[in-house]
Amino acid sequence: MIQFDHVTKRYPGSDEVLKDISFSIDAGEFVFITGHSGAGKSTLLKLIAATERPTSGTVLIANQNVSKLKPSAIPFLRRRFGLIFQDHKLLYDRNCFENVILPLRINGVSEQEAAKRVRAALDKVGLLNKEKAMPITLSGGEQQRLAIARAVVSRPSILLADEPTGNLDSSYAADIMAIFYAFNQVGVTVIMSTHDALGMSANQNRVLHLNHGKLTDGSLNQTGLEQNTLPSETFSS
Amino acid sequence: MSNWLNHHLQAIKLVLSRMRSNLLSSFMICLVVGVAMCLPSLFYLGVDNLSKLTDHMQSETEISLFLKLDASTDTIAEIDDLLAKNPAIKQYHLVTKDEAWQQLQAKSKSNQDVSNVIEQLGKNPLPDAFFIQAKSADPETLEALRNTLQSTPGVEQAILNSEWAKRLATLLSIGKKLIFFIAALLAVVLLVIIGNTVHMQIITQKVEIEVSYLIGATNSFIRTPFLYAGVFYGLFGGILAILMITGMIQTFNHSVMEISRLYSSDFSLALFNADLYLTVIGSAAIIGWIGSYFAVTRAINAIKID
Repeated sequence: MIQFDHVTKRYPGSDEVLKDISFSIDAGEFVFITGHSGAGKSTLLKLIAATERPTSGTVLIANQNVSKLKPSAIPFLRRRFGLIFQDHKLLYDRNCFENVILPLRINGVSEQEAAKRVRAALDKVGLLNKEKAMPITLSGGEQQRLAIARAVVSRPSILLADEPTGNLDSSYAADIMAIFYAFNQVGVTVIMSTHDALGMSANQNRVLHLNHGKLTDGSLNQTGLEQNTLPSETFSS
Repeated sequence: MSNWLNHHLQAIKLVLSRMRSNLLSSFMICLVVGVAMCLPSLFYLGVDNLSKLTDHMQSETEISLFLKLDASTDTIAEIDDLLAKNPAIKQYHLVTKDEAWQQLQAKSKSNQDVSNVIEQLGKNPLPDAFFIQAKSADPETLEALRNTLQSTPGVEQAILNSEWAKRLATLLSIGKKLIFFIAALLAVVLLVIIGNTVHMQIITQKVEIEVSYLIGATNSFIRTPFLYAGVFYGLFGGILAILMITGMIQTFNHSVMEISRLYSSDFSLALFNADLYLTVIGSAAIIGWIGSYFAVTRAINAIKID
């Protein structure tokens, strides 16, 4: 479903952020991308979401070469993804309902159908009673759940989450992780970047570990993760 | 199809609600558009009404054909025959010297001085005269006809009194050209004003646009609401312009009709001018569309997703 082949990414005026990355992710997988801050986790997610293009190598999403897509085709590729950001990227000038309905408007779903799906999505993340509330009145964890509702409302086959629990305390983080696992259970591919080992402790998940832009091991299990993640936690570049 | 319709309906709804939430500033922009559309329209109406008035006068222009004082009844009959055969003449009538004399006496009865003078004259000084209406109102054709008639034997003088109307018509045609340039300049001003307004809106909605791009919005999804915003500024501005114009015509009409009455005419300014109104609204909407199109294209290229 997602395939990276010798992908290198360099931003103008900087070193290579990602160096010669190759891996593939199948449909229905739950994959963590770990690494110290500055290791290239966000860049890797941006390459998957086609908000960045690789400097060299190929990125294949559903057998489409992202580098060769016409700019007009990119929006339709992005609609396959549900994107969740560390800073939520919610719109604070409108209520929860209006935030969640945005992807459906973009997809051209009719208002009645959209309203139904928005409520279903809010229900899944436990915010159905906050439909009319403004996002600014929600707690950090609730805001992140709202962002998840917006990401899943258009029923994407892939969820991309960039450190979704990064700013949350552990009980909220566990809530969020439970929601992601629930989506993965029903067949949604989840790709999540994190520098936090907590969310993964109970599960055996696939981990892509980045170290200074290099993939150190594409199929690490949990034991390897702890060794690699914890020391690099204090590292920053 | 329903998808497309839905997309546009949503955009229109969004734009109208945005305009409603910024009612005062939206109204101000529409007012600017309205005033800018009003100026060339009023100028046009002035020139248009004047030229209608002069057309009216030109078409009524008669050629007065005064015969020699000693013209015999035979000469009169000859000329009558000639006029009847001339294809450029619509109608004509003869006023004999006796008829003219009686008319003059009848008219001067109310004025003591004039009737005294007439009585002193003793005998009729007036010539026989034909009053001719030509088929064409064109000044040059009239002039040619006058020259032909002038050269007819037995004719003392052929007088064409449309000279001043001709001059006025030339002045009005200059006025019409002037309107075109004023309208063009104001159109440029409107393009800039609407473009800038839409640009400011885009800046205030930058976050929304960025997020929308991230979750798969196409350029047209982003662009459409702003295009509608531009069109609506034009539309509402155009409607305001028409209201202002109608109001002003209404005010003017009182004075115009009073003057018309003094000249025993029923001339008044037309309150409803469908062509002008459609042009005002249509061009305002088109200018709005173009202005916002440039603004939104510039802004879309400037917004980088990260």
